[in-house]
Amino acid sequence: MNQIKSILIKLGQIDRRYIFLLIGLSVLIPLLKPSWVNIPIKATDNSKIVFNELNNLKEGDRVLLSFEYGASTKPEIHPMSIAILQHLFSKGIKVYTIPLWPEGLMMANYALDEVIESQLFDVKEHIDYVSFPYKAGGSIVIRGIATDIRSIYTQDINNTLLESIPMMEGVHNITDFDFVVDLSAGVPGNAEWVQYACDEYNVPLTSGCTSIMVTDAIPYVESGQIRGILAGMPGAAEYEQMVFEYLNNTPNRKFINDDVSIIPGSATSRMSAQSIAHLLMVVFIVFGNISYYLVRRRNS
Amino acid sequence: MYELIGIWFIVLLTLSIFSYLYGDNPFYKAAEHIFVGVSAGYIFTITFWDTIWPNLFGRLFPSYVKAGFEFDIIYVFPLLLGIFMLFRLSKKYEWLSRISIAYIVGMAAGLKFYVFLNSNLLTQIQTSMIDLSGTYASIINDIIILIGVLSGLVYFFFSKEHTGTIGKISRIGIYFLMIKFGASFGFAVMGRVSLLIGRFEELIEFSKPEYYYSTPVILVVMIVVLGIWSFKYNDENKEKTV
Repeated sequence: MNQIKSILIKLGQIDRRYIFLLIGLSVLIPLLKPSWVNIPIKATDNSKIVFNELNNLKEGDRVLLSFEYGASTKPEIHPMSIAILQHLFSKGIKVYTIPLWPEGLMMANYALDEVIESQLFDVKEHIDYVSFPYKAGGSIVIRGIATDIRSIYTQDINNTLLESIPMMEGVHNITDFDFVVDLSAGVPGNAEWVQYACDEYNVPLTSGCTSIMVTDAIPYVESGQIRGILAGMPGAAEYEQMVFEYLNNTPNRKFINDDVSIIPGSATSRMSAQSIAHLLMVVFIVFGNISYYLVRRRNS
Repeated sequence: MYELIGIWFIVLLTLSIFSYLYGDNPFYKAAEHIFVGVSAGYIFTITFWDTIWPNLFGRLFPSYVKAGFEFDIIYVFPLLLGIFMLFRLSKKYEWLSRISIAYIVGMAAGLKFYVFLNSNLLTQIQTSMIDLSGTYASIINDIIILIGVLSGLVYFFFSKEHTGTIGKISRIGIYFLMIKFGASFGFAVMGRVSLLIGRFEELIEFSKPEYYYSTPVILVVMIVVLGIWSFKYNDENKEKTV
């Protein structure tokens, strides 16, 4: 028994670099050999709400897509952006992208380019989507969009005047949009959209955010101020899978190019690595606590 | 060609940041400084050309900037407040920047007060109530939320000593808070692992022959350089100690 105790105490005092190495291997091995670990993905209620809310939109509806993330959080949020764009374009919904982070502009362009280059949808700029440039100010910009979007934006990213863009006709403030989708990794993010625009003007809002933001956003989800939430990479993988099934099985194929094969998104393949790393973390936490308890008892 | 250089640079910077897991070293320091410099430069440039130039100068000199805005004299005030802000660099005229800061604080506080009251206080109080028309499961959930809210508020009520009934309720509040912190920690771990997966995926992708094995080549070079640096650094330290 004493031998087991001393092993557990030693485990608690292991050099942190070995822990880094083990975490690294737990992520690397499933990525190198995806066939070794295959963990099924089951959509949570919040992801289903997001999907159903966007699925209920009709052809020609306007959706404002807000990009508030950058390179550092791209692995978590970017797969959501792609899947949401695919879902919206497959239904003939007009998309308006707005970056509220400096890097958000690049992320919006990458996401749009990836979806357009897949040739799965025949979408055209200024008819099916319009990209707005970055404006500094965060929550003040959101407030400006809520009250008078043309007081902030007069041109799109290509310096085309909004008056000459067909899909900008009749768009003056937040109430002219049918839905707002926020893709955020911090501030400004979903909380600012709730507070400065969507709550007051009663415009439906949903959000895809980083895992770390979820606990702060959940009160808004519970109260219905945010309609469902995509929580980090698992949320992205769940949404990707729902969109993948939808694109393959929907009878409405008006906007889908059937000559192009539909490929599952990148988040799905990452979930095995995520799950293995989590299991390892749980093991570390359990052994760490046992070791801490034994050391405390020995010292007292 | 330029894309390939960019890819090799991505790999080098990623591995340089990862090298901090071994310890502070010149690769990490260089990557950190490049990141700070590039971020500051990028944010400054994009803010100037996408916001200050069209939204401010576009209203003061519309025929020159051609951003689609009409002339508006009132935008002289934001320009002045912006210039005042730059006086923070001058000891003599630093007081002028306080006018700009006062405007920002006053405006932001006023705006935040209203939106916070509306979305975070009133709506949250409303949704913390028990909806008796719901299912049994939702009623139980509502009761748990209400207990959590009330006990959490009692925990932060410092006008009375936390003994007796108040102490017991605040204890329940602590448990709710601990569960929240646990959930936050779990989500934080999940987020960090996701980011690690993202970096590893790129490193694996860039190990392919079409990228001239950039990941393994840079990794080996870095290990060799770090090894040499480590020996040299240790020797220098020993000499200093002696």
